[in-house]
Amino acid sequence: MFSFIVRRILWTIPVILIVSSITFLLMHSVPGSPFTRERALPAAIQKNLEAKYHLNDPLWKQYIDYMYGFVRFDFGPSIAYRSRTVNDILAQQWPVTATLGGVAFLFAVCIGIPLGVLSAVKQNTLIDNGSMVAAMLGVSVPAIALGPFLIWIFALKLKWFPVATWGSPAHIVLPALTLSTAYLSRFARITRASMLQVVREEYILAARAKGLREVVVNLRHAFRNALIPVTTIAGPAFADIVTGSLVVEQIFAIPGIGKYYVQSIGNRDYPVIMATTLLFALIIVVMNLLVDISYAMLDPRIRYS
Amino acid sequence: MKRLWLLALAVALVAGVCAVGQAKTLYWNLATEPPSLDPSLATDTTSHQVLKQLFVSLCQFDDATMDVLPDLAKTWEFDATTNTWTFHLRNDVFWTDRNWTLSGIPVTAEDVEFGIKRLLAPETASEYAYVMYLIKGAEAYNTGAGTADDVGVNAIDKYTVAITLNFPAGYFPGMAALWLCAPLPKVAIEKYGDKWTEAQNIVTNGPYVLGDWVHEDHLILKKNVAYYDRDNVKIDEVYCYMVNEQSTAMAMYEAGKLDVNDNPPLEDMDRIKTDPVLSKELAQAPRLCTYRYGLNSSKPPLDNINVRKALASSLDRQSLIDNVLKGNQLPAQTWTCPGMFGYVDGVALGIGYPFDPEQARKYLADAGYPGGAGFPEVTIMVNTSQGHQKIAEFVAKGWQDVLGIKVNITNQEWGVYLNTCSVDAPQVFRMGWCADYPDGNNFMNDVFHSGSGNNYEKYNNPAYDALVEKAAVSTDPAERRDLYKQAEILICETDVAFIPIYFYTYNQLTKPYVVRTFASIGGQTWKDWDILDH
Repeated sequence: MFSFIVRRILWTIPVILIVSSITFLLMHSVPGSPFTRERALPAAIQKNLEAKYHLNDPLWKQYIDYMYGFVRFDFGPSIAYRSRTVNDILAQQWPVTATLGGVAFLFAVCIGIPLGVLSAVKQNTLIDNGSMVAAMLGVSVPAIALGPFLIWIFALKLKWFPVATWGSPAHIVLPALTLSTAYLSRFARITRASMLQVVREEYILAARAKGLREVVVNLRHAFRNALIPVTTIAGPAFADIVTGSLVVEQIFAIPGIGKYYVQSIGNRDYPVIMATTLLFALIIVVMNLLVDISYAMLDPRIRYS
Repeated sequence: MKRLWLLALAVALVAGVCAVGQAKTLYWNLATEPPSLDPSLATDTTSHQVLKQLFVSLCQFDDATMDVLPDLAKTWEFDATTNTWTFHLRNDVFWTDRNWTLSGIPVTAEDVEFGIKRLLAPETASEYAYVMYLIKGAEAYNTGAGTADDVGVNAIDKYTVAITLNFPAGYFPGMAALWLCAPLPKVAIEKYGDKWTEAQNIVTNGPYVLGDWVHEDHLILKKNVAYYDRDNVKIDEVYCYMVNEQSTAMAMYEAGKLDVNDNPPLEDMDRIKTDPVLSKELAQAPRLCTYRYGLNSSKPPLDNINVRKALASSLDRQSLIDNVLKGNQLPAQTWTCPGMFGYVDGVALGIGYPFDPEQARKYLADAGYPGGAGFPEVTIMVNTSQGHQKIAEFVAKGWQDVLGIKVNITNQEWGVYLNTCSVDAPQVFRMGWCADYPDGNNFMNDVFHSGSGNNYEKYNNPAYDALVEKAAVSTDPAERRDLYKQAEILICETDVAFIPIYFYTYNQLTKPYVVRTFASIGGQTWKDWDILDH
């Protein structure tokens, strides 16, 4: 197990190198530059700007300089936010997004999975049908509709929560709920499907034959194995959720990093594009590693060497 | 000395708060994080909104009349023999930080000289440095061909600064009102480098100081008790949110969390106009911007002048405004917008092409396409945005209905779009332009001169260039007005280089207890506002 983990961690290096090279090449091959303006800049001004950000160097040198900075955790300046570095942006904006995402992920797991188990255990009852219809709605209604709807009910009408912005635990509830709904529904549906499949396995039959109580059969034997497919999607879902949802952050005016993912591309803010993409890649890699490790813990038949 | 100064400030603060009883706070939405609070680097309206409160410039604009008024400079005069403007500065403007720890350091002519020269230094890499190329030696210094010493900005004595230009630009005092001519705090900039604009580092001199700046979240301005006109500044604190989503800002306004909503959502406009409360809080004010459809006259069939005339006369601007834009914008038949020096009322004077379907069909027939027969497809390209798409759909439908021609609409992402427009502009493409300074030169010369980088239409008429060049150097206002009028006729009517569509407006919702002014250029002037008991 230990050598497996070490090997996987070492594999991260080529993955990050490949992702960074592709991102670097793609962003430089898209037409337009950080200094493309409707109000066209004179050539002399462009030249000063390119010199300042070393964009007049050959591409290979820019790449090497970037990677040299990257290994020293220096992600360079933001070109669109001229008084801030990418390190500033990551340090100030990512914790906000990670907090929001973490809470949303907890909502999704703590509500979605029990809901799926309940549906499976009570298959084809009112509870099952009701929760699956709710889950279907949760997947289908986009955040851009759900967010304003929740604001209208819980902030404007009932006044239970603030309309928007950030700062106290109360500010987290509505955006976390909005962000979690799609994942919550997906967890519920997959848990249900997986449970229904597992309960038909022979070892469950054996457990029942031993005379174990239904609760013990379901929770100790069926549920544990049913979690494997859920864990598989939980990894990428977590990465998705903690790297920010532009839409939810925008609706609730949350000072997170979500907008930088999208805006940096429009702005051709090269250092920010690189950093946000690599952050996303890194979290995906780490989450996949954790998923693989948890497989072994959940299912005794899975072993790594 | 330092203690005395602090004591005086403390007394002033206590007295101020006691007199009012309760501190007055304005809740405002900046909509986004200001990209930079460095006057040499800021290029956007959000940053300007904040900068206007933090720094004084040599001059300022009157919000209502757009007249140039004194600010840091009490008076100024022009010497035609040397093309030099001399500004005489106040001696009661002081630098301050948010903790009032600076002991009354005055703002001097040297700070102005430092500010302008820093803007022009190539290593500053300021995007707007070129706006000041009219200063002698500025372009050479900015492009690395000259030195700072050769730039025509000189502190004559502690409170007098002389600025020598390449030509006698009569509009220069208006440019001196820009943030680009703001005096800058050399010590703080050298001490903190790029981080000098953070709340804990910044040193300013305007009506407000930067109390706090939590990036992407909020920014707080506090009244500057050392400001020279502090007695007339009534609002003690401005709390700026950064809510980008229009519907959320609208919800916050209705929930009483915002005192002003300066950009209500288009979808809510019908409701706002009919709501008994909101309709009274809505005000529409002109904004110094013009929206246009650029025409690529080198691409057939637009190389035919009659085709361009037909397109211009079959665009129903008023209907577009009433049914699509809904913001009481003004239909435009000319380029320079109202409120600018050199504006020509094209609609009243009959310059340009009003909506006239009959005449439009006649132009198309003259071009050789009667009833649109045999007319090749025309493409309108816009940058990807729901708003621009809606406008394009309206225009395309109008052209199809009136002229019987087929119109395609395509869109591209902003950066790609600008690249396309400058390399190989499509037949019809949308562009907008907003004033940097309220003079026709900024619209006529800076955009459509044949040498301008903003001239996406690649319009090139030596007669037009001659008119706007002459207007740029003339010091006779009447002659300049006349030159701009001739230039408008040439570009909008004779040559139809593009189709002006509308002049922008602001839609602003303001709570009844806010006493305010409406600025159409460079951000709102909060020092002139007040908040009544409510």
